[in-house]
Amino acid sequence: MTERKRSTALRDPAWLRFALLAIALAFVAVFLVLPLVAVFVYAIEKGFAFFMDSLTDPDARAAIRLTLLVAAVSVPANTLFGVAAAWLITRFAFRGKNLLVSLIDLPFAVSPVIAGLIYVLLFGANGWLGPWLSAHDIRIIYAVPGIVLATTFVTFPFVARELIPLMQAQGSEEEQAALTLGAGGFAMFWRVVLPKIKWGLVYGVILCNARAMGEFGAVSVVSGHIRGVTNTMPLHVEILYNEYQRTAAFAVASLLALMALATLVLKQLVGWRMRRIEARSAAA
Amino acid sequence: MSIELTDIAYRYTDAVALDGIDLSIESGELLALLGPSGCGKTTLLRVIAGLEFPDRGHVRFEGRDVTALDARKRHVGFVFQHYALFNHLSVFENVAFGLRVRRWWKRPRRAELNRRVGELLDLVQLGELANRHPAQLSGGQRQRVALARALAVEPEILLLDEPFGALDARVRNDLRRWLRGLHDRIHVTSVFVTHDQEEAFELADRIAVMNRGRIEQIADAQTLYTKPASPFVCRFLGEVNELPSALHAAWTGERDAGAVAFVRPHDLELTPAAAAYAPARVETVRDLGATMRIEVRHPHVAAPLIAIQERGRFAETVLEPGQAVAVAARRWVMFPRDA
Repeated sequence: MTERKRSTALRDPAWLRFALLAIALAFVAVFLVLPLVAVFVYAIEKGFAFFMDSLTDPDARAAIRLTLLVAAVSVPANTLFGVAAAWLITRFAFRGKNLLVSLIDLPFAVSPVIAGLIYVLLFGANGWLGPWLSAHDIRIIYAVPGIVLATTFVTFPFVARELIPLMQAQGSEEEQAALTLGAGGFAMFWRVVLPKIKWGLVYGVILCNARAMGEFGAVSVVSGHIRGVTNTMPLHVEILYNEYQRTAAFAVASLLALMALATLVLKQLVGWRMRRIEARSAAA
Repeated sequence: MSIELTDIAYRYTDAVALDGIDLSIESGELLALLGPSGCGKTTLLRVIAGLEFPDRGHVRFEGRDVTALDARKRHVGFVFQHYALFNHLSVFENVAFGLRVRRWWKRPRRAELNRRVGELLDLVQLGELANRHPAQLSGGQRQRVALARALAVEPEILLLDEPFGALDARVRNDLRRWLRGLHDRIHVTSVFVTHDQEEAFELADRIAVMNRGRIEQIADAQTLYTKPASPFVCRFLGEVNELPSALHAAWTGERDAGAVAFVRPHDLELTPAAAAYAPARVETVRDLGATMRIEVRHPHVAAPLIAIQERGRFAETVLEPGQAVAVAARRWVMFPRDA
């Protein structure tokens, strides 16, 4: 991509540009890079063997498994909801549409702890549905279903938020064309809609997945912190740290950080790919 | 397949788009919907396609009521103004789309599909571009891909929304003639929307002139031009002089003081006269090559009168700015004032 040359009249003096750059870089170094490096340094301070032991400890392995399980359920669910919601909002006119758009953002607006509490109040032993649930021997709070629910709630907006502006910008003419050619809903989705939103969807799913694995607040409220059963990785890190097992805590934390870094790289690749496609269709 | 529209009405939330449209289109006909932007012509086309559903009225194909059917079941070919090609698919796959999405028992086999798509690409003269993507094509080529794609499902009705609107002038003229030739070969009932009267005149068998959600007149080009049904049709089809009674009573013999004579510039006759008898004065004379365009001021008319004269005629009667002229007309159409 060629950068458009900017007018020299708008260019700030050199000392100001360097000063701003220095401030920005210093900020990034202190608040982002340093902590990240610290995580890895502390993680291996007692050697590589200890690092591996911390990760292969039964409780740690249970936490990793649970985190993957939760992500494996809530990410596909939110992908489905997100696509459906985006299609509904961008392709149909109906009463209360603006309200729905605002509601999709609700999980971003409320504190995750509140989100967790809502589920406790709904499904907990003393909650609205508590007596009925215990009568039928269904456990949601302090069990895996509660963790999945809370995570799904918190990560709900990512896919929809990514797709709505994209689908709005694309318009529905190609879908109308598909309709006049006799395409049913299923064929239209697979052959026309999905190829157009593919990269935006991948982008949304990556962000959703990152948050699903890293969520702490909401999960902390509903999990009950039962070791080896309802501890996710972020909760396991906290427990280890509170028990003065600093190095073990950082070892697990470093694994989370690695996942986050991988996500960032993936996100960057997809973003780069999306911009290239946009540039190509803009040139067309 | 014939199309019959009865009493079609369509409202957007803030405006009436169609206001009681009755229209019948014969099988194999090529009809133009002509009108200024916002007159409802595109909405009407979309109602026929089943992309919009009217608030009132019926759409019938060959006598069969299809008002409640959506676009998927109406089996019409639709060419969108901006083509709406599938940018992620090759030209070949764009054309094959309508065949591939059929239910499996109606879907043609691979060899049959290749043959059909190949035939269509040859028809629109794009056989060698089958593997390109739409982004690699020119505007005219994309337009033809859109047409081939619409024809692939063998529709008995073809609808085109401003088919040449996005093309530059030369491509537009070529494609227009080519499309007329194509229609003469395949005889599919076709309706196209345009705001360009020249396009409508050159292509269509009949033209429906629309204004504010209503059809003002349906006729062939010659009838529209010589016997317009309303002042709107008359004004929309090109420049026209509107002469009040004081100017035309002498040569039309019309006694009604409220009657206005509509005269085309080339039907206006100017004869040099003595200044004492003729209040009209030549204002400007412009040489347009084959013709001369003369503007005349008359004290009874606010706008200048426009006359177009052929060079040959002009040579005999030399008109110059300031010359007093008598005004008459060879042909005119009379409408009551404020009609």
